[in-house]
Amino acid sequence: MAQLTYRDAVAAGIAQEMRRDPNVVLLGEDVAAAGGVFKATVGLLDEFGAKRVRDTPISEQAIVGAAMGAAMTGLRPIVDLMFSDFFGVAWDIVANQIAKTRYMTDGQVTLPLVIRSANGAGSRFGAQHSQSVENWSMMIPGLKIVAPSNPSDVKGLLAAAIRSDDPVMFFEQKSLYAVKGEVPDGEHVIDLGKANVLRDGKDVTIVALALMVPRALKAADVLKEQHGIDATVIDLRSLVPLDTQTILREVAKTGRLVTVEENPRLCGWGAEIASIVAEELFWDLDGPIVRVTTPHIPLAAANNLEDAQLPTPERIVAGVRQLVD
Amino acid sequence: MNVLMPQLGETVTEGTVSSWKKKVGDTVAADEIILDIETDKVSMEIPAPIAGVITEIRVQEGTTVEVGTVLAVIGSSASAGVEAPASKPAVAPAPPPPAAAPAQPSPPSWYAAMPPDMNTAKEQYTPPAPSDTIRQPAVSAANVAQLGAVSRDDHQRLSPAVRRLAAEYRLDLNTVQGSGRNGRITRRNVLEFIQRQQNAPAPRAPVAEAAAPSHLSSVPSTRAPAPAPAGPPPTGAKTVPFTRIRKLTAEHMVRSKATSPHVLQAVEVDFHRVDVVRRSVKDAWKARHGHSLTYLPFIASAVCRALEQFPNLNSSVHGDSLILHPSVNLSVAVDLGAEGLVAPVIKNADRMSVAQIADAIAEIAQRSRAGKLKPEDFSGGTYTLSNSGTFGTLITAPIINQPQVAILSTDGVRKKPVVVESSEGDSIAIRPVGVLAQSFDHRAVDGAYSAAFLDKVRKILETSNWVVEV
Amino acid sequence: MASGFAARSPQLAISTETRLKLYRSMLECRVLEKRAYDLFMQNLIKGTSHLALGMEATAAGFGMAMRPDDYTFCTYRGHNHTLVRGVGMTEILAELMGNSAGLMRGKGGSMHLTSVKHNMMGSYAIIGAQLTIANGAAWSAQYRGTEQVAVCFFGDGTTNIGAFHEALNFAVIWKLPVVFVCENNLYMEYTSIHDVTAVEHPAADRASAYGLEPVLIDGNDVDVVYRTAQRALDLARKGGGPSLIEAETYRHGGHSRADPGKYRPDEEVKAWLAKDPLPRYRSRLLEMGINAAEIEKIEAETNAEIDRATEIARNAPPPPLELADKDVWADGGSAWRN
Repeated sequence: MAQLTYRDAVAAGIAQEMRRDPNVVLLGEDVAAAGGVFKATVGLLDEFGAKRVRDTPISEQAIVGAAMGAAMTGLRPIVDLMFSDFFGVAWDIVANQIAKTRYMTDGQVTLPLVIRSANGAGSRFGAQHSQSVENWSMMIPGLKIVAPSNPSDVKGLLAAAIRSDDPVMFFEQKSLYAVKGEVPDGEHVIDLGKANVLRDGKDVTIVALALMVPRALKAADVLKEQHGIDATVIDLRSLVPLDTQTILREVAKTGRLVTVEENPRLCGWGAEIASIVAEELFWDLDGPIVRVTTPHIPLAAANNLEDAQLPTPERIVAGVRQLVD
Repeated sequence: MNVLMPQLGETVTEGTVSSWKKKVGDTVAADEIILDIETDKVSMEIPAPIAGVITEIRVQEGTTVEVGTVLAVIGSSASAGVEAPASKPAVAPAPPPPAAAPAQPSPPSWYAAMPPDMNTAKEQYTPPAPSDTIRQPAVSAANVAQLGAVSRDDHQRLSPAVRRLAAEYRLDLNTVQGSGRNGRITRRNVLEFIQRQQNAPAPRAPVAEAAAPSHLSSVPSTRAPAPAPAGPPPTGAKTVPFTRIRKLTAEHMVRSKATSPHVLQAVEVDFHRVDVVRRSVKDAWKARHGHSLTYLPFIASAVCRALEQFPNLNSSVHGDSLILHPSVNLSVAVDLGAEGLVAPVIKNADRMSVAQIADAIAEIAQRSRAGKLKPEDFSGGTYTLSNSGTFGTLITAPIINQPQVAILSTDGVRKKPVVVESSEGDSIAIRPVGVLAQSFDHRAVDGAYSAAFLDKVRKILETSNWVVEV
Repeated sequence: MASGFAARSPQLAISTETRLKLYRSMLECRVLEKRAYDLFMQNLIKGTSHLALGMEATAAGFGMAMRPDDYTFCTYRGHNHTLVRGVGMTEILAELMGNSAGLMRGKGGSMHLTSVKHNMMGSYAIIGAQLTIANGAAWSAQYRGTEQVAVCFFGDGTTNIGAFHEALNFAVIWKLPVVFVCENNLYMEYTSIHDVTAVEHPAADRASAYGLEPVLIDGNDVDVVYRTAQRALDLARKGGGPSLIEAETYRHGGHSRADPGKYRPDEEVKAWLAKDPLPRYRSRLLEMGINAAEIEKIEAETNAEIDRATEIARNAPPPPLELADKDVWADGGSAWRN
């Protein structure tokens, strides 16, 4: 076991796979010489050289398009998109081309590529550099989506994403980069599409993703110590493929579901899960489904405003208490 | 409107039509009694839910049907003038309702199961004027006792989980206590209710097909293993089929033994002080109360007081927890002879004096023998007293009344020589002595706890100033 | 007329055999598109299709110059570019008709013709996307050291979209083995390219902005196209980086089937029809002394081939319904949940 930061786990995951497979390559703005603007790719240029780790101009369409073309023809590229908000610039390549080409070509084309980006808020970057955009990809058939909450999952899931023959959108939460955690030594791979039940409780099931996971765990402690409410906490890890069975199994035990989402309210991933549970587990629900989300507003830059907008452990506790009687 | 076979208590899944008081074509008023039904424990009169004419009788006398079965159909008064064919089934075309009378909206299926008083209570209720300082209760005090938790606001807010379980297990949710916010019946309330039902005789299998949902694993299955079938009876032997109550008792006993690891502990009690009081008030008591003052109320009182200090014996096992009941509802076993054994409940016995307990026991025994027990007489018991003493037995190892965790048998009290200690030295005295034997569920408590409890009971009986209690 | 390296270099010799192949290739493109037009009129091809009647020379010229392992990327007007890589007429017509004999069994349609086994890496319906993707294929070839080249076709309208500019810059700075070919048929959809472009030659006049040599050629002269293609491919293969070629041409029909092309002046149409690459090349071959009988033989064979292909394609069954949710993922399925 090693103690790694979330950002170091990114580099470790990429390095693990680049050592293993010579076709894995990395491209993006400032990823090589500078080691990435979030310092998540430090050391890769030194180890693997300029042929495999390449800096690009500021040309998101060209970058993502190049990754697609390379993936079509034998390479396994990893794109560093820097800020997930920049998906807007390259959205044609992601949504219209990458997501659909295998299907349209009747399976002739395979696209084993990963697009990594720094997602989410908490770093005071303002509305255009702080969005949680997992649901943008979730709506497009043909994209896999991963959002790890801790360093071990970063390394393991990134390795799985790189090994996957499907296009994977890998969302790193930018405010988690400095967080340390235990990461197993040796080859570490965590299958995509498997949620992680981090805490077992009998009163309510809380489902969370990425930054919201540590907050949900904190809320669960408060709920237990101060309110006698015992909560299950599930770290979803992947939105596509979605580990629906774990969610249904755990919600069936408690009869109550609360989702905790960093994204703005409308069409967040929690709405989809609420819909699935309401449809498939209706007769096991002992109360309404509650979603704790950022409100449907752009994110502010000021410390206190941004902090108030994202779900806090206090808001999660309140959401659960309103539900559990 | 349909008249349904109601659910006459937690453990009941069927009922028998014993006699019809009305026939097809008869006009009935709302709440007028139209038939008698009985279950293994009680008999009950069923009133007409609405005024009208009995258009169909679907279940004949002596027939046993499941709870919820339609027994009869009453046409509303507005259609009373139309001739309803007496023996034809429901497929006969219904008479068109006259334009003047609006069609009655059909009430929910549990409506028929509610006691008639509820309906009259509704009609009598007038909302208080704003200036009223004395508020009228929405439901009369008598109804509260019958309806339990119904009076709280959210008792009827039924979540999907609760509805489904109620449908699958054919529950009358009016008999389920709600411990959620504002009296809401939570899923856990229903699951616990079902578990208690499952521990009782012969529950019906759930309506839903396919494998039991995994979430119901929180309701432990307590089905006792089926006994190996015996061979054919030897020639010359007589076969006596079990009566209904025998069958149910047999199943309950097997199940209870399979559920609780039973341990027997006994103490020998010197009833001297109790006896002194008994004999001193004997005739006056009988004259005033109409029944004899036996040892049982004293024992009951001592048990209640001891349970205050040993609450784990006044509990139920639920999964990995012990549910400690807030009060002592004493089940008192009453032998009905050929009719079998019943154990009606004296609620809140811990708040009663010996005299009150004595009266309650007498009253309930009398109603038992008269077959006049009601469903609520059987619900909520937390500890059982089994009185076998009339036959002078030495000791009995009773079987626990599920879902309780302990039962006390009171056997014969007879004169015996005992050693009496005093500061002047020991001497022999003749005293009335009897054994109290407790079977306890070893999941709930250990031997030391039970022994200490029994010791307490004995001390209370042997040292209390009983004179003031009667 | 020609400029750029096509003009500077001496004429590369083209053998008779190659010329006949070029003619056959253009003719196959012509009959294919004409048949697609007819089938559309008979309502056997639904949806939309974008025909390249009149633009056969660019497809045939490059098709002849490319190696089998070179990559093609083109637009939704790509039937010809698909055909010249060796894909059968049957598979193309059947894909247009949306049945199980189609190149993608009906899942892609006219605008997305792709045949990976022929290294025909796709027809792209969003303007400009294929330039960025072609860069990736070129990068992959460069990385693997295979000397493969990616050839990327696009229209005049593409030169104004962001992806064009990003891709050009990207290809130049990474010195990618990619050839960008702008088939300038003077009109985007319904609008003249001149009305909406800041420069006269939409591609050639932008080349210098990316450090590239301007190359402007007659896109209806298959010999010119062929020679230019050879030079550009050779440059890329030897590590000389990308080229940008503007080939002037003209489409005989409208932008798509729905468009009769009435927005073009009659004089202009007439003038370009006179430069129709097929009769023009036929005359040239005869002038060169090639036997008419050989040409007629090619014509007879080609016509027979399109008829045969049409017959097979018309009678193929529709795709099985089970196909509808297959191949979203590499494992052949489409499950997003368990």
